Amino acid sequence: MNAIHPTVQVRQLSKNYGSVQALKNVDLSIAAGEYFVLLGPSGGGKTTLLRTIGGFHKPSSGQVWLNGQEVSHLPPDKRPTAMVFQAYALFPHMSVLGNVGYGLSLAKLPKAEVRDKSIAMLEMVGLKGYEDRRPHELSGGQQQRVQLARALVLDRNILLLDEPLAALDAQLRKDMCLELKHLQEKVGITFIHVTHNQEEAMTVADRIALIANGELVEQGAARDIYRTPERRFTASFVGENNLLSGTVASVEGDTVTVQVCGQPLSVDRRDLPVSTGATVALSIRSELVEMVPEDGSASSADGLSLAGTYTESVYLGLTLSHRVALSDGTQIVSRVVGESDAPPPVAGSAARVRWKPGALRLHIN
Amino acid sequence: MDDYANIWLHRAKWAYLLLVVTTLMTPVFYVMYISFNENGFGAAEYVFTTRWYGLIFADAQLMNALRWTMSLAAVTTVLTIPMALLAAKFYKATRAKVPVVFLLLAPLFVAPDILSAALLVFFKNLNFTFRWLGDQLGVSFMDGWAQLGFTTSVIGLIIYTIPYAFVVILITMGRYNKEQTEAARACGATGWRAFWDIEFPQIRPGVFSACAFTVILCFNEYTRTSLLKGGFDTFTTVLVSQMLNSGMSEQSYAMSSFVSFVAIALIGGIIVFTLLRSEAAARRAQPVAEPGTRSTAAA
Repeated sequence: MNAIHPTVQVRQLSKNYGSVQALKNVDLSIAAGEYFVLLGPSGGGKTTLLRTIGGFHKPSSGQVWLNGQEVSHLPPDKRPTAMVFQAYALFPHMSVLGNVGYGLSLAKLPKAEVRDKSIAMLEMVGLKGYEDRRPHELSGGQQQRVQLARALVLDRNILLLDEPLAALDAQLRKDMCLELKHLQEKVGITFIHVTHNQEEAMTVADRIALIANGELVEQGAARDIYRTPERRFTASFVGENNLLSGTVASVEGDTVTVQVCGQPLSVDRRDLPVSTGATVALSIRSELVEMVPEDGSASSADGLSLAGTYTESVYLGLTLSHRVALSDGTQIVSRVVGESDAPPPVAGSAARVRWKPGALRLHIN
Repeated sequence: MDDYANIWLHRAKWAYLLLVVTTLMTPVFYVMYISFNENGFGAAEYVFTTRWYGLIFADAQLMNALRWTMSLAAVTTVLTIPMALLAAKFYKATRAKVPVVFLLLAPLFVAPDILSAALLVFFKNLNFTFRWLGDQLGVSFMDGWAQLGFTTSVIGLIIYTIPYAFVVILITMGRYNKEQTEAARACGATGWRAFWDIEFPQIRPGVFSACAFTVILCFNEYTRTSLLKGGFDTFTTVLVSQMLNSGMSEQSYAMSSFVSFVAIALIGGIIVFTLLRSEAAARRAQPVAEPGTRSTAAA
């Protein structure tokens, strides 16, 4: 990755719609050849950010730099970007070949060259033989492949993808995710992909930026975002995390003791500025939590477990989720992979959830 | 019709529709019938002839009236359709849709006689103002600017036809997905190229329908052309004058029928063309077999 001259740079970008602030001073750098995902809840501002990079929205303040050039004032057709839209963006009165070759025709390339390049690109996306079809004769997945071919044939070094798989069914989405990833590795250009689907994001992304409420909440490698979320919101949105609220009882060196439902929990301080008496949040991924029936042998003294009441188990095929309610009503989920013939505990019986040191994470925001 | 609908109720609805259309069109068909009668309107004996159709081109007054009306219709259409198209595009783009619709449809809410009279007064005052201004400046080139005639009549017809053209185009435009324009822009098209290459081909039926509608409205118009043009020399004003003064001539029946034939053929042609296109599109939308040479996907 080229950290000195990023391909895409967004500086203090804000976008307002009347009194609504869709983007709030966003700063972002994306390197050449990176597969970057903008992830977040609906209405969080990720599509606004993507469309502002593409020139479909003018920033209220801040700048967009592409390939080292400030382009905030340029319309979409003057930017070095191509775009794939969510759905229905193929030109219905043109054939598949006409759609793919449209941008090349605008660039006044010779007809033979337009045709050759378009056919080559259709072959790359697996649609050779579909040249003469009309868009309505294609399935949703095929239509999105045509959009991809139409964008990639332009030979631009930044491809923007606005929820490109949202209109596809679950299985096709999974297949297309991998295809997108492999295609990006093949062409080697920068992909910026907007989605609200975390599985899709984890599948394709080199890096993920979490956008919510118009703000860039957190960014980092996909694995880091999942395993070691810095902020509480990230923990709540990515993966299946249990979130707990508590009060800091003591701070000793790198270890913080937090009281949750009257029970002490030990957590790594992570250099966060915490003090005794402060209200903090804790998160732990459900697959790191183990649920055991309470037999009186275990205690909360080590700060790595909580006592509660077993409520139910949910069988999800690949995984089994046990639910344990704490005294304040908070539900803790313990997710285990694999089949078990052991009968679940009786609902209402005492149970304990426990984890290994380092699994719990502290958040102050 | 669904499987549980009453077949007789269904047939009754079609019979009702046919009755309404027949009631509306019978007078037109009667005029056509008269136009082929050697003895003209009211004669006891009906003798088929096409002679009157041959004579309409020799009737200087009628041909002059037709020329004026066709000129008015052509100029009005050329000016109205782009204006209506721009208005429809603005409507689609703006968030304040209600004021736009109100402003564009406002001419429909004023009685034609009142609006025409208001325009007449306006142009007369404007003409007086230009003349007075010319006199003050010692020039005469402004004297004819607001004089009643072709231009003032065209302005009146534009005000009359633009709401209809706007609505017809807007209906077609409603089905257009603006992401296609954005996709074209992302491919490198300017705003104009994106409109011309992508949007216009999809709204073309609506634009052509609006053109046909505007032409027919211009042919139909009496009040505005009689008040704002003067001279009573357009097609409708000549026909009405004849009827009021001396009764319609046989050539007038033939001319009226000829215009009706053209209008029905034009509108009918558009309807048949649209139906055939829809059927062809529906046929194309049927599942299509996979090409035999499909290669593997990018993966």
